[in-house]
Amino acid sequence: MNRRTFLAAAAGTTSAGLAGCFGLLETRTAGQPPVLSDRPDAVYHPTHVEGMKMEAMGRSGDFAAAVMYSYPHRFWTVSGSTVTKQSIQSDDAAHIMVAVWDPETEVVVPDAGVSIAVTKDDEVVSEEVIYPMLSQPMGFHYGANFGLDGTANYTVEVDIGGLSGVETTGSFDGRFTESTSIDLDLSYSEAEKENISYENTPDRAGDQTAVSAMTMMDMPLGIAPSADELPGATVGTASTGDAEFVVQAVEADRFGGGTHVAVSPRTPYNGMLIPRLGLEMTVARDDETVFDEELGAVLDPDFGYHYGGDLDALESGDEIELRVTIPPQVARHEGYETAFLSFEPMTLSVA
Amino acid sequence: MRPSESRGIDRREFVKSAVAIGGMSALSACLGRSGDENDEDDEDDVSIPAGTDDPTSLPDRQHAWNGALPSDDHGNHVLASHHVLLYADYAGDGTPTADERETVESALQSLERAFEWSSEGLLFTVGYSPRYFDRFDEALPDSVDLPEPAALTSFEDPDLDTNDVVVHLASDSGAALLEAEEALKGNTDTVNGVEMDAHLGGVLDLPEEFPGRRTGFVGDGLPAENNDVSGIPDEADVPEESPLYMGFKSGFDKNQATEDGVTIPEGPFAGGTTQHVSRIRLRLDDWYVEQDQEERVSEMFCPAHAEEGTVEGVGENLGDDSGAGDCVETIEEDARSAGRVGHAQKTARARRDGRPVILRRDFDSTDRGEAGLHFLAVQEGISDFVATKTAMAGEDLTDTPTIRQRVNNGIQEYTFVKRRGNFLLPPRTHRALPTPRPE
Repeated sequence: MNRRTFLAAAAGTTSAGLAGCFGLLETRTAGQPPVLSDRPDAVYHPTHVEGMKMEAMGRSGDFAAAVMYSYPHRFWTVSGSTVTKQSIQSDDAAHIMVAVWDPETEVVVPDAGVSIAVTKDDEVVSEEVIYPMLSQPMGFHYGANFGLDGTANYTVEVDIGGLSGVETTGSFDGRFTESTSIDLDLSYSEAEKENISYENTPDRAGDQTAVSAMTMMDMPLGIAPSADELPGATVGTASTGDAEFVVQAVEADRFGGGTHVAVSPRTPYNGMLIPRLGLEMTVARDDETVFDEELGAVLDPDFGYHYGGDLDALESGDEIELRVTIPPQVARHEGYETAFLSFEPMTLSVA
Repeated sequence: MRPSESRGIDRREFVKSAVAIGGMSALSACLGRSGDENDEDDEDDVSIPAGTDDPTSLPDRQHAWNGALPSDDHGNHVLASHHVLLYADYAGDGTPTADERETVESALQSLERAFEWSSEGLLFTVGYSPRYFDRFDEALPDSVDLPEPAALTSFEDPDLDTNDVVVHLASDSGAALLEAEEALKGNTDTVNGVEMDAHLGGVLDLPEEFPGRRTGFVGDGLPAENNDVSGIPDEADVPEESPLYMGFKSGFDKNQATEDGVTIPEGPFAGGTTQHVSRIRLRLDDWYVEQDQEERVSEMFCPAHAEEGTVEGVGENLGDDSGAGDCVETIEEDARSAGRVGHAQKTARARRDGRPVILRRDFDSTDRGEAGLHFLAVQEGISDFVATKTAMAGEDLTDTPTIRQRVNNGIQEYTFVKRRGNFLLPPRTHRALPTPRPE
């Protein structure tokens, strides 16, 4: 029975049927506080904090994946510079999240092109492309709200298309391009969902801070390495649009002969990597422009996901200008939707 | 709504359901209802035009349908409303015999005698897969470009159809379609008052159900009437006048290859063509609920069409050209500034001499209770289809951060390719169990 048939059937039966029907639709979302009217144009503490339930992990090909769920969320999609709020639909039962990482290095893989097919007893319940997303506790992941068919054991087929628009370097060279599929079990129940932690946070909502990362989970998170963990020399850290950009210069065979300038954008407070933005760099030396190009997205085992440009060398006194041309094209959970949208040029001097 | 209109819609829905279910009982029900004398609006009340005793009066190209299809006000060919695809296997061992060839040809000619070669009567093709030709010692000639089916984008993992034969039946009359199918299977001796000289039942293993038997429909109103399937959200407002689930017209004459253009020009199969059929699951929740009409126009056609208000409603005002060809040059710019690129805009990059290289004859479906699309296209060689699909996939555009494999990249967020198959449609003279080198 599909959901529509179920609702039609329920509507035509007794009040007990109707009660079940409303029970299906009633979740904590009914009690979610409204979006704040005076949000800062920056990262802020959301109105409420929800936990989530880890369901299963698996691996196939070059990828490992985990599936989790929580209450349905409102979230915001970003296309170009346009931010669109996606409200919870009446039939949404859960926010299903998928994390994808490299099982060898535990580096999180953004831009892997993920869709999921949810089945119950081999019947298709749903199939959707799920969005690359940023949330404060989880950082980068893939997610969307889903309608489900009540309490049941579901299979979530995680279909990974493979990296697109990202160069791979070092031991990652040539990896993550082959598509693969990982079947994960999701045992969903209304009762268990209601046990997932949920806290309204009126005292902190709107503060310029972030919910802490869920680091205790047995799953790698998309936390960008700190500047001193990155190989090479740190040129500096710049900040705009409430994002931090660590700029690193490294010489390594895997990047070719000269100097690889790696720019690693991350969120403030919990340092989550920010993928999928457009970034240009100009390097000026004694009134001469020695580099003026768009930086490409690179996935490297040591740097993780970053934006890179290669030039012969960086010299002391060089002036680097970085310009974000396209805001990060990732959907945002609450608290990130007003940040990382409008950027000023950043300048750094090479010491 | 006047009662007669209401009855008309019920009737259409009924016929579509009968085609989807298939079999003798569905046929009887279809014919039974047709016999209702009070139901004057029935489309199947009008007698189905009979065919011809002279096979030579029919075009040599199996795919020569355009001349047998009506045109709309803009000169676009209007595909028949109802469709059945039958994926069959050669029942014998080794290679087909002369007798079996004669049986097949005789059955097909019986259908041509029974039904006019038109969408009011019956249009059909018979295609053969690479797997079919594998049973012969000789290989297909180089003039036939027919590889095994394969996944065509990095993000799909379709089941590959390897049946020997596919029969495509199309008609505006669901009853004619079902009758033709049952006659081919040997379940009925007469069709449209004409006796069958033979049937395919002894030569081919014919399917009774999905995935071997696939059905569908296309045409104004049919998708809106058949929207209670998975993949179409309750909130969706599939336009009444839309011929397809996604809410827009397609197959504009100028955005189609010509029949000449898709015809194999030389070799033993000159006059034939190749056919690619994929089954696509449609998931239109986000298409209809998250997006507004302007965003849908942007993703189906191109961002400029959305900005300029080029597309009214389902796109009837576009005439015989979607105009997406004019958006090709700005595709990189649109990716950056509009944050998305359109399906037709990407596809229009695959052209030869300014003309598309595939001729779409696709139709929607409710097979398995799912909103679906049987994307059927004919082209000279399968590589023409691959080139078109590659352009359509737009994986080259993902260097721009706004464009991901399947998000903001045309309609790929809503379409899931589940099956693919490649077939050769020989010219009519060689349509019955051909060898790889017929003379």
